[in-house]
Amino acid sequence: MAEKTGTLKLQSSDKVETVVDREVAMRSVLIKNMFEDLGSDSDDFTNAIPLPNVNDSVLKKVIEWCTYHRNDPPSSADEDADSRKKSTDISEWDQKFMQVDQEMLFEIILAANYLDIKPLLDVGCKTVANMIKGKSPEEIRKTFNIQNDFTPEEEDQIRRENEWAEDR
Amino acid sequence: MSNYKRTASATRASTTNVFSSLKEAKIINSKPVLPAEILSLVLDHLSVSDLIHCALVSQRMREMVYDDTRWVRKLQAMGCWNEASARARAEEQRKKKMDILHEVTEDRPGSTLMAQNAPKSGHTPSIILSGPNSKSNSEHSTEELGNTSNSIDGFDQISLTPATPNPPSPAKVLDGDSALYVMEHARSIRGYARGEYARIYAALRPYYKDAVRSKHPSNAKIFRVYRDPIQQAQILNQLIRFTRSDFTQGSIQREKRMSFMISAFEDAVAKEFEQGLQIGDVDGRMRKYAHVLVTLNGGQRAIDRFLAESAVLKDGTQLGDPMDCFHPNNADVFFPEESHGFFGHLSAACNSELDVIGRVFPSSANVAIPLLIRVGDEIISPYLNQVIDHVRGRSTEAHIKAVAGIYEQALQFFRSLNVVPGWEAAQADTLDDILIATFSPHVKPYLQEEIESFKRRSEAEVTGWERQLSSQDASLESFYMAGINRQADKRDFLSSFRKVVMAPVNALPAFPFAVKAKPSETLEIKNQHDSRSASPNRSTSQTRTPSPLPEPPTTELAAKAAIMKSRLEGIKGLFSLEVALNLVSMAKTSIERMAVFASVKGDFDKDARDQCEAIFMMLLKTLGNRHIRLGFDQAVEHLSKYNPRAVTDRGDAPIVAPLVVFLELVNVGDLIQQMLDVFYEQELCAAKLIDKSDFLSPTVKAKRQFEQMLDERVAAGLNKGIEVLMAEVEYICATTQNVEDYNPGATGIAIGKLIDTTPTNTSIWVVEVVSAHTKMIQGTTDKNMLDVFNQEVGLRLFHALCKHLKRQRISVAGSIRLISDINLYFSFIETLKNKDLLQYFKALRELSQIYLVSPNDAKELAALIADNDRYLDIFRAEEVYEFAERRADWYQVKGRVEKAMYGYGCLVM
Repeated sequence: MAEKTGTLKLQSSDKVETVVDREVAMRSVLIKNMFEDLGSDSDDFTNAIPLPNVNDSVLKKVIEWCTYHRNDPPSSADEDADSRKKSTDISEWDQKFMQVDQEMLFEIILAANYLDIKPLLDVGCKTVANMIKGKSPEEIRKTFNIQNDFTPEEEDQIRRENEWAEDR
Repeated sequence: MSNYKRTASATRASTTNVFSSLKEAKIINSKPVLPAEILSLVLDHLSVSDLIHCALVSQRMREMVYDDTRWVRKLQAMGCWNEASARARAEEQRKKKMDILHEVTEDRPGSTLMAQNAPKSGHTPSIILSGPNSKSNSEHSTEELGNTSNSIDGFDQISLTPATPNPPSPAKVLDGDSALYVMEHARSIRGYARGEYARIYAALRPYYKDAVRSKHPSNAKIFRVYRDPIQQAQILNQLIRFTRSDFTQGSIQREKRMSFMISAFEDAVAKEFEQGLQIGDVDGRMRKYAHVLVTLNGGQRAIDRFLAESAVLKDGTQLGDPMDCFHPNNADVFFPEESHGFFGHLSAACNSELDVIGRVFPSSANVAIPLLIRVGDEIISPYLNQVIDHVRGRSTEAHIKAVAGIYEQALQFFRSLNVVPGWEAAQADTLDDILIATFSPHVKPYLQEEIESFKRRSEAEVTGWERQLSSQDASLESFYMAGINRQADKRDFLSSFRKVVMAPVNALPAFPFAVKAKPSETLEIKNQHDSRSASPNRSTSQTRTPSPLPEPPTTELAAKAAIMKSRLEGIKGLFSLEVALNLVSMAKTSIERMAVFASVKGDFDKDARDQCEAIFMMLLKTLGNRHIRLGFDQAVEHLSKYNPRAVTDRGDAPIVAPLVVFLELVNVGDLIQQMLDVFYEQELCAAKLIDKSDFLSPTVKAKRQFEQMLDERVAAGLNKGIEVLMAEVEYICATTQNVEDYNPGATGIAIGKLIDTTPTNTSIWVVEVVSAHTKMIQGTTDKNMLDVFNQEVGLRLFHALCKHLKRQRISVAGSIRLISDINLYFSFIETLKNKDLLQYFKALRELSQIYLVSPNDAKELAALIADNDRYLDIFRAEEVYEFAERRADWYQVKGRVEKAMYGYGCLVM
């Protein structure tokens, strides 16, 4: 098992180094696996760990989240499958944390995905889901910057197919 | 949707610098566009209507939304997806496709590619739901536009949705039956999960929305649409399942609401059920509301209430006092009638309860089994425990009887219970489980006790007998069993023994419930009977007519045993048939008691079998080693001590007392062995306690050992017996043969008497002695052994006679008597039916001719002596010559004979 005490350095894509508590860094399954594979005394950890997919501002945000959630119980694998089925509500702190511009939100989600921080990814996805909720297709396209590649006939057919789902 | 492919594996590659790969990795310019895998995660959190909006966004999004697994997951959550049937359908589909493909390729080889592609491209599931065509979809969505609040409470969100501009047509809502059973009709087809979900969604969504929104459960629309409580239960059951497919935020609260509503409904129904239960309205309210509750959620509540009020469970313990089974003063006495009565009452009570269950609950509800489990736990188990606590340590006898008795009664009790339709197999299993669970703490000690007790009692029996013997004077009086047809007696005895063995132990009173085992048992015995009497190794063709004697066989056996015993008085000092019988009957009771435990598959099955075998082996050991072997050894010892000269009081009968005793012993030993064989066949093999074909089983080995031991003893004894017999013969010859017999006038007293042609007394005596003994063991032991015995006796007799002859002086006149003597021996030997032996006596007969030749015919005599063929090569000429020397007139003829012999011989040379 990886040591929980001590610190380590993370290097963002724009070469900024940040010192974090190991415990906080361990929220990332990617980093945790690295530790477990190599052993915590490895010399490699005296150097900064480069995270080429995450820039400094996003990394700061992620570390902020990890620091807040450092004591959360780790979710086990099957519990994970279950919690994916049923979405719990986003906690108040997380809601506030996610009140960022959309670009940042997406970056956080990508970073969480890359660093394998499932709870954070989850919160991010829920936030995005809330953004979609109740929106018309056109609005969704706008939000997510997606081109409409349907012909009007196709669009009509999908509508007809899914009449049953309309919230009446 | 496994979208978490880690790059961590790369870090393992080089240990020198883990991060080298990371450093080398290209830095991707991250645009704020979410990759598909993450979008798909996002979609997981969306409600159905939002999902459909997403599907309208773009082709890629539509594909993601339409992904079948997404909908299968929802169906699974509702319990409407059957993976097995889905797989079966898919297989079938694939097969069909393959067939088509096959045909196509055969017809037009060129178009293979097209054919392969065709099904793929055409495989776009599209479901068009028939229903009110709402044209205002676009308008609808624009209205919703304003409602994209960031509210996290899903419940609020739903209630915020404005009242739909075009309410669903009333026909749809009131289309009750389709909504009622929509889940049951859901099919599991791959690729069509969305369609199936759509049907369920369309049917249940309105009720669901209404239900979670309604402030008071009773206001919900479902209660207005459906009046029948059964229907209400049915729809509620579906709604709670439907709730489980709602993954969106806030669903937890919605589910809570739903459960609240259901529990309110359940409370109301349960109250009705309760009232029905109180007044005992079995076919009315109880039945109605039990069905409602079962439909709603399996009806656990009704079942619990029902069991709590169950008369059997309440009053079961009052059905019988375990202490009634015991004599107040004598702990050894156990009354099986009392416990039998208890189980009888319990059986009646349970059956009436099961009957009520059948009337009240639908067959899908599992009521009978918990009831029976509780009956086992709360009634039978305490009863049994009380009984056993009472007897354990106090009285072994009562302990054994109580455990076995109650077990059998419990078994019969369970068999007597009515079966609730639909639960036959489960009920049978449960009953066995209950039986095993209830008895398991007691069975092991019981089996132990049983075997200990058997051991103790059998030891006591044998030791007691031995003590009794030593206190008596062990003097052996000889009794000759004149005129007894031994074989007939034995057969008679054995057949009554068999009857007793087959009769079940009457330890238990017959149950009023039908015991199905009985007829088959008797049938089996009959078969056994037939096969036995037909078995070839019983050369003595016994035609036993299965006489249906009305008298109880036990007493019959006792009488026969008494007769046997009185006849076998002579051997009572060695071992006793009675003891053997007692031991066998003890073993029989023990084994029969334990056999009951072997009848139920499960934990006791093997143990009980093993113990039965152990008891049988112990029986063999005690009977064989301790009892029979000792008797035989003693008898052989007596035999070897026998000295014909020492016996003064001969009595009238031509017998050797210890030998007779021994031969009787052989008889009884054989009887006991046959008895054990019958016992083995009937008790162990017929009851399927032992696999007869398993020649490695210790029982079979022990049995064989026993038989071997018996044979060895018999052989050793017979060996001794022959010696004794011959000593007797020689003694008789030496003491009784009169000089005058073969040489009349030797003493000069009775000259001129008529020549007596009758055999001499000596020969008659000898033949009587020998034949009496050889007859005695006929049919007792192995035929081979008998042959050997007879041959040995004959040979030894032959030699003894030769020796005897050489001691006599025989005149021509006396030779007539000698010849008649020899003829007597010869005819006796004939009865032994031994060809080799007969040769010897033929030779002897020829030999006796030499005394008949008149002294004048020396030449003829010489020829007679020299004729080897005449004596079948048994006597050589020198030997015959020796016999010839015994002629009374030998010295007169010697010269001439020798001259004739040797002169004659020289001539030939």
